[in-house]
Amino acid sequence: MTAAPHQETRTAAPPVDPPPDRGLPGRLGRPWRRRRKRSSDTLAAYVFLAPALIGFTAFVVYPLFRSAYYALTSYNGLSDPKFIGLDNFRRMFTTDPSFWPSVRATLLLVVLYVPLSLAIGLALAVFCNQRMRGVSLLRTLCYLPVVLPVVATITLWKFVFNPQVGLANQVLNWLHLPTSEWLSSEDSAIPSIVIVMLWSVGSTMIIFLAALQAVPTELYEAARLDGAGPRTVFFRITLPLISPIMMLQVVLQMVTALQAFNQPKILSPDGQGGPGFSTRTLMLSIYNNGFPKLGQVSQFGYASAQVWVLFLVIVVVIAATARFSSIWTYSDHVS
Amino acid sequence: MILPILWMLTVALKGPSAVFEVPPRLLPHEFHFRNFVDGPKVIHFPRLLLNSVVITGLSVIGGVMTSMMAGYALARLRFPGRKVWFYVFVGSMLLPPVVGIIPLFQLFKDIGWYDTWLPLIVPAFLGGNPLFIFLARQYFLSIPHSIDEAAKVDGAGHVRIFVSVMLPITKPAWITMSILAFQMSWNDYLNPLIYLYSSQKWPLSVGMASFVSQFAGQTPDWNLYMATNLLFMLPPLAVFFVAQRYFIQGLSALGTVNQR
Amino acid sequence: MKRWIRLAGALLSAGGLLATAACGGSSGKQSDGKATVTLMTWESAATNKAIDQALTGFHDPNITVKRVDTPNGNYSDKLAALTQAKKLPDLFWCGNDTEQQYTSQGLLTDWASRLSGAADFGASSFVSSTMKNWKTADGKIGGVPSLMNTYGIWYDVDAFKAAGITVPAAGWTWDQMFDAAAKLHAKGAKYGLVADALTSTDGPFSLSTYALSAGGAPFADSVHQPTKTTIDATYTEGVRKVVAGIKSGAVAPPGYDISNQQALFAAGQIPMLWSGQWLAAGFLTDKPKIKYGFAPLPQVTKPATLYDAVGICTPSYTQNADATFKVLKYLDSTVWTKVLPDSPVAAPAYLSAQSAYFGALDKAGLTTVASTVKAGLSTPTTIGVRFTTQWASQSNDLITAYWPDILNGKKPLSDLRTMTDKINDVIKSNG
Repeated sequence: MTAAPHQETRTAAPPVDPPPDRGLPGRLGRPWRRRRKRSSDTLAAYVFLAPALIGFTAFVVYPLFRSAYYALTSYNGLSDPKFIGLDNFRRMFTTDPSFWPSVRATLLLVVLYVPLSLAIGLALAVFCNQRMRGVSLLRTLCYLPVVLPVVATITLWKFVFNPQVGLANQVLNWLHLPTSEWLSSEDSAIPSIVIVMLWSVGSTMIIFLAALQAVPTELYEAARLDGAGPRTVFFRITLPLISPIMMLQVVLQMVTALQAFNQPKILSPDGQGGPGFSTRTLMLSIYNNGFPKLGQVSQFGYASAQVWVLFLVIVVVIAATARFSSIWTYSDHVS
Repeated sequence: MILPILWMLTVALKGPSAVFEVPPRLLPHEFHFRNFVDGPKVIHFPRLLLNSVVITGLSVIGGVMTSMMAGYALARLRFPGRKVWFYVFVGSMLLPPVVGIIPLFQLFKDIGWYDTWLPLIVPAFLGGNPLFIFLARQYFLSIPHSIDEAAKVDGAGHVRIFVSVMLPITKPAWITMSILAFQMSWNDYLNPLIYLYSSQKWPLSVGMASFVSQFAGQTPDWNLYMATNLLFMLPPLAVFFVAQRYFIQGLSALGTVNQR
Repeated sequence: MKRWIRLAGALLSAGGLLATAACGGSSGKQSDGKATVTLMTWESAATNKAIDQALTGFHDPNITVKRVDTPNGNYSDKLAALTQAKKLPDLFWCGNDTEQQYTSQGLLTDWASRLSGAADFGASSFVSSTMKNWKTADGKIGGVPSLMNTYGIWYDVDAFKAAGITVPAAGWTWDQMFDAAAKLHAKGAKYGLVADALTSTDGPFSLSTYALSAGGAPFADSVHQPTKTTIDATYTEGVRKVVAGIKSGAVAPPGYDISNQQALFAAGQIPMLWSGQWLAAGFLTDKPKIKYGFAPLPQVTKPATLYDAVGICTPSYTQNADATFKVLKYLDSTVWTKVLPDSPVAAPAYLSAQSAYFGALDKAGLTTVASTVKAGLSTPTTIGVRFTTQWASQSNDLITAYWPDILNGKKPLSDLRTMTDKINDVIKSNG
């Protein structure tokens, strides 16, 4: 498959910020469209969309409004919700000692994970895109951690990181490098979690690889004939051509990092985002409050308020990324 | 990368007390192949396997089919609101999944779906995953319009174009989605846990969790757990290996085609 | 449209499939006076099997007992879902905290009147401290205690011998414990003492045993209906000793991952481990290579220990209170006597069932465990392991914000006051 030539610019902005027609050139002029009877198309379109629309209403719109209501109540799941206005938000921003640390943990995770995941994913994809023996095996191996059941593999990492008998420190000892407390120290806990998340970098790689394979090989050949070195080819041809997918990747990885849950939940020593609050990401904090450990009462109202804050954080971060990136995303002149 | 599987395999082959040797030994000194028989027995493996197959099978079919339908509409039909719906669907990817847990639990409970498989399957039939809709739309965009023009000239309606023209040529896309949907549904744990009261309706993912105890002095039987776990993850692995070559092809639509 | 029809067909057939599957639900009272009593535990598959086995001895022509399976790893999520769906089984394993909270919301059947009558299964048939703790402020008893935990110090006899220290025994002091930890650490152990109970969010309660033993005030005046938390001079002295121990490396710091502590202790990697008597059951099956013992918690002047019991609760909407109470009685009085001999996890709260537990310990030669548990159960000065209140998770967050940093020396001891002040605010705002 080759890259379809496209005539618009800056359209790679992710499909996220819901707005408007900005940057999307009209296609009114296309002949095939005008021949169509509009009303029959509209009817057919809504018939085809019907299941998704019903699902969207039931599983996105309804919970969203419902949780917006809960966010304004005190609700423990045992007795009826009690309306308390903005108290949940007040508590979150002023008295809750865990809120700001959890914002910090979440952002730290994003800052560490997203660039590393993109860089390593792309590097592996470039390597796997070569015509070499064994590449397909490597590709499969890289993707393997993504296919395995998450809980089992993360539990394994917990063994690896055990400071006393874990594999990680044994290897460091053997290499005469200083050992670490890994998940048991507030400073190294988030980086350790990032390592575990990067272990599933195969999902990033495979999308990059798909993009790379769609770059027409003639372009590479032409560049090589012009005497361009591998570095020039990568930065002047490959990177610009895959920039739309890069945008998608940035968004996907950000969502992954902002919604990280399994890793901190399973890896933190207390299962609550410890030590201290160091790995209590917003997502985990929401879960802790909504579904606390045995013997504690749920705070559905407060958790719903946190959900809304997380949702807004995600939307703002992604929108900012999209706006910022529209400056550097490739606009087509190569083909 | 292969290390975890090897490690699971060695644990699966160890005896009950050898699991906790410190420092851990890489190779078991005696092989307990019986773990692969005894482990599954603990959780009624065959019945749970059947449950998992039914639940996952239906979710995959539903999720892929309705996403393909939505993708078709969004990519190849011109209608007012097309762009809005596209952004709305894709934007819902950003919504943290916990939002739904409490309201949906109450919804399903109120309509009498508690302790049935319906909460696990029906959402898939209602366009379950926005990522799939996005993927489907992108893939449909990469197909030349001349193809449906030709079909239209032959007098085909949208249903026929979708079923007999589009589905065959979008094979990589729906195979990719199927792999992803399979993994998600097969490994889903929290939903079946909270919706299914009766253990005879459990899928394997919940059954697996009964090995691990968090209470009072019960050391989990890690060896039996890992042995069963290997069997548990065999189907997703097999599906991935078999369909692997379509996978990259299917994903390639994600980036090469711009968001027209 | 054809799609839709087919889709609907698939859905219908799926629905039909589900409808025909056996209906779980909670108990049912059939018209002929026969009743089914459902039961849910958090035990492992092996223990559940033993319980099922023991339940076959329950003979009542009108009552069928049915155990509901649940993966014990996420028992709390399951419980939350069942509570929401109003589908709680007739009998379910619960902690003292759940019992208190649910009772105050009117969710549980109150057994108080039944327990006050019967001589063979009345309040006096149980260890008195448990009954006292399971009663709510207004005299309701939403569940019956089943097993009690005793906390103490597991020690590695070989490590103590190698370091030339006498092994801990009843009456030993906190100073002796920290001394031993320092010596064992100097002898090469990574940490001389691992005490998650002191460094986790339960820490302030565990350390109250120090203050209580020295005649000071505990962290909270009550775990059920606290009015305030305090840190007095004696308490601060105890914290200072823990801080010193962590600083020197003798005591494992907050954040130490305890998920493998049992295995590490058994492998001789942890010479002293603050934990509960329940490890004995695991050791009996795993057979550690080291020689080990179990000592009571250290003291300053008089013994003081932690109180912790679990039990069995019944929802208020149970269909068959009579049948359920019969099964409950059988569980507490007889089932444990059949399950505990093979797996001595904890002492039963029902007094006449205790001999089965201690008999099993004696038979296995775990004399230090038996004597420490006996001592723990008879210690008059106790404090609960954690708050059982509705707002407990809020106070936990405050403890997390201060306690680990104070123990690590990152925050001054004076911040203990800041912590209690803020917790007192939470107590006040929740009335």
